[in-house]
Amino acid sequence: MLVNYPEAAHWPIDPTRQDLVEEMRANPRGPHSDDLRKLLHRMRWTGVGKRYVVIVLEPNRRWMLGRLPGRRGAPVETFPNRIFTSLAAAEWAVFAMRWEALTGQRLDDGIPA
Amino acid sequence: MMKDTTSVLGYAWPLVVSPGETIAFHLSSATLTEAEARIVRVRCGDPDPAGPGLKTTRLQTRIDGRVALRHQSIHPGSAAIIPDAPILSGPSFSTGCFLWPTAPLAGPQTILSRWREDLGRGWRLGLDAEGHLLFEIAGAAGAASLRAARPLIEREWIFVAASYDGATGALTLVQRSLDAQAGRDTSGAYQTTGPAGLAWPTETALVFAAHAREAGPAPLTAAHFDGKIDRPRLYGAAFGEAALRLACEATRPSAADPALIGAWDFSAEISSDVVRDLSTNRLDGRLRQLPMRAMTGANWDGSAVQWTEKPEFYGAIHFHSDDMADCDWSPDVAMTVPTNWRSGFYALCLTARDGSDDPVESYVSFFVRAPLGQAKCRLALVASTATFLAYANSALRLDQVHAEAMLEGVIALSRDDVYLQEHRELGLSTYDTHSDGSGWCYSTAKRPILNMRPLGNTFNYVNDTHIIDWLEHNGFDYDVITDCDIDRHGAQLLSSYACVINGSHPEYFSRNMLEAFDTYQRGGGRHIYLGGNGFYWRIGFHPTKPHQMEIRRGMNGLRTWEGEAGENGLSFTGEPSGLWRSNGRPPQRLVGVGFDAQVFTRSYPYQWLADAHDPRVAWLIKEIDLAKPLGDFGLRGDGAAGLEVDRVETTLGSPPYLLRLATADQLDYGGVPTVEELRTLHRGAMGDQNAMVRADLVFFPTAAGGAVFATGSIAWACALSCKAYENSVSRVTGNVLRRFLDPAPFSGFDN
Repeated sequence: MLVNYPEAAHWPIDPTRQDLVEEMRANPRGPHSDDLRKLLHRMRWTGVGKRYVVIVLEPNRRWMLGRLPGRRGAPVETFPNRIFTSLAAAEWAVFAMRWEALTGQRLDDGIPA
Repeated sequence: MMKDTTSVLGYAWPLVVSPGETIAFHLSSATLTEAEARIVRVRCGDPDPAGPGLKTTRLQTRIDGRVALRHQSIHPGSAAIIPDAPILSGPSFSTGCFLWPTAPLAGPQTILSRWREDLGRGWRLGLDAEGHLLFEIAGAAGAASLRAARPLIEREWIFVAASYDGATGALTLVQRSLDAQAGRDTSGAYQTTGPAGLAWPTETALVFAAHAREAGPAPLTAAHFDGKIDRPRLYGAAFGEAALRLACEATRPSAADPALIGAWDFSAEISSDVVRDLSTNRLDGRLRQLPMRAMTGANWDGSAVQWTEKPEFYGAIHFHSDDMADCDWSPDVAMTVPTNWRSGFYALCLTARDGSDDPVESYVSFFVRAPLGQAKCRLALVASTATFLAYANSALRLDQVHAEAMLEGVIALSRDDVYLQEHRELGLSTYDTHSDGSGWCYSTAKRPILNMRPLGNTFNYVNDTHIIDWLEHNGFDYDVITDCDIDRHGAQLLSSYACVINGSHPEYFSRNMLEAFDTYQRGGGRHIYLGGNGFYWRIGFHPTKPHQMEIRRGMNGLRTWEGEAGENGLSFTGEPSGLWRSNGRPPQRLVGVGFDAQVFTRSYPYQWLADAHDPRVAWLIKEIDLAKPLGDFGLRGDGAAGLEVDRVETTLGSPPYLLRLATADQLDYGGVPTVEELRTLHRGAMGDQNAMVRADLVFFPTAAGGAVFATGSIAWACALSCKAYENSVSRVTGNVLRRFLDPAPFSGFDN
């Protein structure tokens, strides 16, 4: 079988790389530097924690944070108080949660302009 | 606001209908008792406020108005059902088969049975929740069971057998690993004594890969098995292991054996849903929900890789507990399509809770074809129904770990996606894996398809409606024809048209379809391909069952699952599957370009090349500034070249007359080449370093005044409407289409 193993993404996380955090905050949708791409790949491939998604509330206008249950047939977990008006804001919010899960560092959850 | 698109769902049958024919809508709702119904012709199905927006035209029909709704169930899980027969109720029996379990820990499963769940009586050979083989008998005189000591190993062949002697009450159970070394041996033989003289329940079907929940010849079933069953046998006497093993190993056991009740040959009539019994009892059965046929059996030795070469190696069927091919819903409303309706994309629109904060607006798609043999226009747009089916109810973004990395950003789910996550009974797409990890190779239209309708996810169907919108905006007359009709009627259907357009993503092509376009081009047809990743996979439609398609993904190509060795021939047609590139017909030979890369970070503009200045194509660049980028805008990633892109490759058949007019070859790191473009692995293959990662825009003339224009990009179609349709992508497309509708030949190429 051809299997994608999520644990295969093993680029080491360096909690001191605040430069990558700030690069992401400034430009959540890219293009990104080589190291930030590696960090994002680590986060996206492993789906650290559970896999965060957004749910479209208004096409191309408004999104709600959600989380996949990791099991077929189970409902998508929703976070009705986490609404985004841009995909960039959603991308940053997901990054911040994953950064905290990987490093223990809580990031200022400020939505980028 | 995002409408509620799932509180009522349905499917139209037939999916493609001719004027004058009747179409029925099969609907279900778990929450609504009624909805308002109307029929619409679809012009643009994309609600994106940055684009044209949803555009439909209401048509007066007898369906208009209130329609009562009810909940109709779906029963996923495949099985073979053999109706009851007197010979099945003998006092003693033995049964056996080869088994390749794919999810032995997924919960209790039944492999071979004549068991009634409603009564808790009969016999069944199955697995318990821990993956141990279990043989159970139960009747009025009592019950007994045997459980094997060691669990089955996933994806390992094993011989399994069981017997019951009605005279003594003796039960036996055996499992024998076929590869019994290196820790793979789980063999064991077990016996016990249960009640003698058990009487079996009447009206009980013999079922493979499940058991009956109820009486009758076509019962609902439960405890569906995941995995392959090869050469099941049933005898009317309590045989030991050696005799049963011989009977299972023989591909044709002696039909004259008086003890033989049934010997099923799954290698017979592989393209059908019939399972044949080789015995004189003729206990033939029917398959339900389209399990995977043409599968290698335990005897497959690699000496043939297509089932048509040595069918005796293909005596296995892979059953899945989530197989789903036919909802089998009753129709709720029907209508006759008026003879004056234009061909096109149509839908039944169902609305409810109007004025509330969560209004329902759900569409059930169908296509109206121009009457066969009666083209109404000189131009035809192809509805890529093969591709729509291949992607039907894709759960790729829900299930596959690579999705977020591949799509280069957080995944945005629609309400359809959220529904599909919870409602897997709709059946998934050929991009998905079954719950046991094996690939879905079939797709059908007798089920709601969430992503083939207005307001659906933006790929394929919805993107193609941007071409319809553009044709309407520019006042072009066109017929809509469908893949399934091209498959059935071939070049004869295409030859009625001066020009035929393939849309944003005509990825799935049968041999008949490819031959039709090849013949069309050679006969002077003008062929426009406004997409990317086209003509890529070799598929088959079922020869007799409409709107059922099959793909075997094989060992090459950009695939979300890999076919198993020896299992890459189409069960429907006996043809090889996989990439057309691996079947001697690369897309470059037909349309000049072929798939080379994905780019999901963003889309890009093309740059014009020297060939664009060629006076023979002056008509193509009318009112175009060649110094400016082509398509530095678009609804999908802000460019016309993106998502999936194609390039010229002369070694794969791009023809000598081809003019490479423009290219988008600076796709940056988001440009990821497809696997068949890589000879050896090395760094530097991505778009930031590799000019083979690109979209090419090409033109070439063909025989008898024909011609081909290809854009090599899925994102092209979603750039047509930008800047109120006044843009370079729209202008080039219009220049080409007007010239292609002009019968004047293309001169200056023959020298």
